[in-house]
Amino acid sequence: MSNAYQVVGKRAPLVDSIDKVVGSARFGADIKLPGMLEGKILRSPHPHARIRYVDTAAAEALPGVLGVITAADTPMVRYGTIIPDQTILATDKVRYIGDEVAAVAAVDLETAEAALRLIKVDYELLPPVLDMEAAMRDDSLRVHNDVPNNIADHIHFERGDPDGGRRDAYACFTRRFTTPAVHQCYLEPNSCVATWSENGSLTLWAPNQGPFAARLVLARALVMPEDKIRFIQTFTGGAFGGKTWQQVWPITAVLARKAGRPVRIVLTRQEEFEATLPRVPMIIDLSMGVYRDGRLAFKETRIMSGNGAYSISAPAVHYVAATRYDSLYRLGNIRCTADLVYTNTVPTGMFRGFGNPQMHFAGESMMDMLAEAVGIDPVEIRRRNAALPGDTSAHGWYLGSCAVQETIEKAAEATDLVNRRRGGRPLADGKTFWGIGMASCIHVAGNRTIYKPYDGSNARVQVSGDGSVVVYSGEADLGQGCRTVFAQIAAEVLGVPMDAVTVAAADTDFSPFAIGTVASRVTTLGGLAVDLAAKDARDKILAAAAENWGVPAQALDMENGSVISRSHPERRLSFPVAAEIASDALGGKPVIGVGEYRTEGVVLPDPQTKYGNIAIAYSFGTQVAEVLVDTETGRVRVLRFVAAHDVGRAINPLGVEGQIEGGIAQGIGYALLEEIKMDRGRVLNPDFLDYRIPTSVDIPPIESILVEPDDPNGPFGAKSVGETAVVPTVAAVANAIYDAIGVRLTDLPMTPDRILAALREKRAGSQPSSSGA
Amino acid sequence: MKEITLNVNGENHRLEIEPHWTLLYVLREKLDLVGTKEGCNAGDCGACTVLIDGKAINSCLFLAVRSEGRRIVTIEGLAQNGKLHPVQQAFVDVGAVQCGFCTPGMVLRAVSLLAENPQPDATEIRQAISGNLCRCTGYVKIVQAIELAAQDVTTGSGVSDE
Ligand code: FES
Ligand code: FES
Repeated sequence: MSNAYQVVGKRAPLVDSIDKVVGSARFGADIKLPGMLEGKILRSPHPHARIRYVDTAAAEALPGVLGVITAADTPMVRYGTIIPDQTILATDKVRYIGDEVAAVAAVDLETAEAALRLIKVDYELLPPVLDMEAAMRDDSLRVHNDVPNNIADHIHFERGDPDGGRRDAYACFTRRFTTPAVHQCYLEPNSCVATWSENGSLTLWAPNQGPFAARLVLARALVMPEDKIRFIQTFTGGAFGGKTWQQVWPITAVLARKAGRPVRIVLTRQEEFEATLPRVPMIIDLSMGVYRDGRLAFKETRIMSGNGAYSISAPAVHYVAATRYDSLYRLGNIRCTADLVYTNTVPTGMFRGFGNPQMHFAGESMMDMLAEAVGIDPVEIRRRNAALPGDTSAHGWYLGSCAVQETIEKAAEATDLVNRRRGGRPLADGKTFWGIGMASCIHVAGNRTIYKPYDGSNARVQVSGDGSVVVYSGEADLGQGCRTVFAQIAAEVLGVPMDAVTVAAADTDFSPFAIGTVASRVTTLGGLAVDLAAKDARDKILAAAAENWGVPAQALDMENGSVISRSHPERRLSFPVAAEIASDALGGKPVIGVGEYRTEGVVLPDPQTKYGNIAIAYSFGTQVAEVLVDTETGRVRVLRFVAAHDVGRAINPLGVEGQIEGGIAQGIGYALLEEIKMDRGRVLNPDFLDYRIPTSVDIPPIESILVEPDDPNGPFGAKSVGETAVVPTVAAVANAIYDAIGVRLTDLPMTPDRILAALREKRAGSQPSSSGA
Repeated sequence: MKEITLNVNGENHRLEIEPHWTLLYVLREKLDLVGTKEGCNAGDCGACTVLIDGKAINSCLFLAVRSEGRRIVTIEGLAQNGKLHPVQQAFVDVGAVQCGFCTPGMVLRAVSLLAENPQPDATEIRQAISGNLCRCTGYVKIVQAIELAAQDVTTGSGVSDE
């Protein structure tokens, strides 16, 4: 795309990548304080049990132990991100294997571990609630005594005339799709360092996705004023949704208070798999139909989402699964019923894409089935239904920019999908099949947040007398690169080179308020706040220069890093000189630009009907996968991915590519490899040996095609990409497998065993045929 | 406790250690070289990779006592006189760094690969780093970075870990 900008739109390595390659970036576990103790958490070995008593005397008596806490040391109030159903440590019951019961602080890890073994807990075992369908029955035992049928959240809505659509459809299918719990597997485990000052204020360091949002829930959990808590974001080694809330934060805080010393807790990888917040597993019963011409006639969905033992952010994930996919196409007749169900398993939560990859797996698989039924190709059915710019979707979403059509066409063109489809013919060896598949997607950019409905962002841009610039924002960089994007935006507005700009880490004592890196909101909402703050700083510098020259401020402009006179362009001041003049006029104080972005035109959806424009913009994409399927071993090899994404204007194309590549890699893991396997509530594969994530040999070459319509709302026209990138991946792989071997897999992950079983069924003639119009 | 001398990044350190302590633990907790990361403590992720006599090993599986008398290089010791090693520079330039948690291990793994095989092809690179997990990048730009660094090293603009 042609680009009149100096910095925006240029490929920029991350501003903090040098700290990362030399090893000086300090992540959570790298924080050390004088006198710091090591903490460990005692977790429940039972999926469901009443706690009769906890005896910590022997642990407390162990030399080197400085503090032991149980629920009695905590405020024992119930809190939660959305539904207040958690406590800091288990009070009456434990609800999953891994539930936190007690914690110990000691001089070293070995002593803390030894002390854990000395804590006696007397449990009265209860039958665990494990199966979602059974959990919803009236006679089921309850995970939380006050929640009948174990339903944490229920959604029902209708648009248009779904029954009429079904009646008039030329072809329709109903299928059950299932998706497992999968873990974010950020490489850095969660951790926390906490310390208290004499005046009763608390300071925490932790990798996280938004220190202000974290502090809000912490204040509720600890029953203390928000401003007595200082939450500092450390370098964050990946998060992907998994570091928006962690129990280790309040536990470390309470432990540090009890021990009277700073405490650090670092989770083990096993604790990560057993007791953090993996992706919400879903059972999706989906019916969709098309008219003779391939236009969508209706969609009807029944979803069961696995909440696990506590809710955290799963209600929001579940809500996304119920609604978001529907605005990808011009689809008017919709019915959806969805239940979020408690079970005695690990609580689930956010993972890149929220519930959107789950629903796109179902929906985009179905689109290919419907295309085949009406005799058009996968490209054509998507083109005929794709949303257009200016559309308001069935849910009231206004698509200010929308280039999904173009992403479909570009991805199809780049892969020659229409001509290269094989339709289940083997290669020369007779047992290997090559296939190609496509899937499209919609995601949000700048979504309404899930905490309180605040959805703007704030920033400060400080320009010192020497011309150096610091950007302060409370949004969090998890490695996705928002510090770099903010630096680019500030540099562009002020006309300075990128290396003149520093972006401060997020710290609730100093950063302007922000919700954090969730809901694909940081480039858009955070970026707009930085844009406003930089413009405010620029205007203040221009005003000072105008006064210095004795001309009105409107007579001046900023161009290529200099202040110029509009009427006499030869009159100019370099940026550092202008900054010095502005600072001197303030008595040597830096110039401070303030940016407060407030969203307009976005309506919090009605709690019942879910109708409302939920984001300032929407991003789109289409991915094409090429695979090889070995019908003897059932093994799938992904050969190539082409991804065309409508990201609005790419502020940092290098970063956008990185997000697409990383998203696809995670999607390939979700499609083919990953699953938290459980038996009676116990995680069977809590390590990287048994829970395989893609390695360098599993990921094919990935080609990114950026489609860049200028979005009317985004900063410099930008939208979002990080979450979007993983949304269609699974469906693209599933559709490619179908093209290769003619079997449709509806359960994730698509393992060799499942592929072989599906092939056997097909040979036996029991695979439901796709022409069942 | 046992007294040993560890040579880390060219400096000798006299330390009292327990025989069961891993090199990772000693580096991070006793020498404060926290650039070496712990992602699993089980040999499955490669975040803890360091060089021992030029070869990449997982320091979470390597007992500190065994490293006595050997040359240990951690990520902190790779840049020389403020100049990035060509592998580090290439990681920055092509955008192979996102969160950065796998980066120290990945960079050192690449340094040891290039010492053994100065001109690896993409398949050899992918094989060599397959024990180092990265959850952010999809490995695409990491492979590119190592290819780029290989060109730099073979054109002589690089420095080795010597
Ligand atoms: S920490 Fe050593 S391999 Fe993971
Ligand atoms: S850059 Fe985050 S794990 Fe590799």
